[in-house]
Amino acid sequence: MRGRSRAIPFVGVMILWLLFGAAVWGAELPPLTHSLTPSENRQPAPALRLQNMDEEMVDIRDLKGRVVVVNFWATWCPPCRREMGSLERLYQATREKRVEVLAVNIGEDIDTVFSFLGTVEPSPGFPMLFDFEAASMESWGVKGLPTTYIIAPDGTIAYSAVGGREFDHPEILRQVLELAVE
Amino acid sequence: MKRVTVATVLLLPSLSALAENPQAHRVDVVTGAKTWETRSNGVHFSLTQLLPDQLRAFYVNRGFTLQQAEPYATSCVYMAVIRNDDAPGVIHFVSSDWPVSVEGGLHALLPVEGWLERLSAAGVRKSALVAFRWAQFPPEQSYRPGGDWNQGMLSIGLPAGSRFDITATWDIDGETYRAGLKEVQCAG
Repeated sequence: MRGRSRAIPFVGVMILWLLFGAAVWGAELPPLTHSLTPSENRQPAPALRLQNMDEEMVDIRDLKGRVVVVNFWATWCPPCRREMGSLERLYQATREKRVEVLAVNIGEDIDTVFSFLGTVEPSPGFPMLFDFEAASMESWGVKGLPTTYIIAPDGTIAYSAVGGREFDHPEILRQVLELAVE
Repeated sequence: MKRVTVATVLLLPSLSALAENPQAHRVDVVTGAKTWETRSNGVHFSLTQLLPDQLRAFYVNRGFTLQQAEPYATSCVYMAVIRNDDAPGVIHFVSSDWPVSVEGGLHALLPVEGWLERLSAAGVRKSALVAFRWAQFPPEQSYRPGGDWNQGMLSIGLPAGSRFDITATWDIDGETYRAGLKEVQCAG
């Protein structure tokens, strides 16, 4: 009984901690941006070959000829969490129009990501890739999360987006779809 | 008409004061965390207190032990945000160069690399170090106009309750711009 009474406050504190841990930066978040920034000089996209949730390898080279949206993210990153639903809505609106979406998770395991995806509405149907040691961050020039690149059908980086976006905003949808018919 | 004129005259000094000193301050009603923010030359800059318990929880959930998380959790940490809304070009900054002054003296920030070395020496495991590195405000970054931005953790390295002034600096094509926050207070 004595042990149980000690355990109750401890469990309460841990629950609060878990809630705080998820929402540590949650208050007063800045608004998400509504546009993509065009590249001044289009450079070829770096290599990207990573495993997906089924532990199969996905290589961005196999997607040449299509627009590819590459989003670097983590579950603990507030703007990454906020933009994930809009990324799925962009995917739904463009998947039949030669557009692919790849989300590259940085440093987390498959179970953590799987649990998080169940909380996103709508739940993402596009491939999740795993960069366990954040090795792709340097080659892609990522300096903060989230960062997203839009790859043109010729394999060059056409647009970038540093920080959270509303990917289903009409302006972003227009930019992506125009790129698909280039 | 006379009433409008009087109102306009009364309003002018306050608008003038806002333009000269655009720093704002607010408090989160749920957590009590304070935010200081300003806007300069099309760039938004803000610091929001992250409370030590919030930081302990965040890092324990990422694989730190309580003991490993403690030095960082008690180092006066903020959620920093820089956003290039409509600056006259691409902004570039090195956040460890931002001047911080405490009671008139300059205070050096411990760079992210320094924290990583310290945490690695304390035995923090690799996956937790990856989370730590990418949860920090970028040590160096460039933002294009139109809304590029980041939010991330920025440790000032001061005891609880300390007050300081900080100036975010960035350059556009070699020209330096500044946005300062005064009398910012460490949580605790």
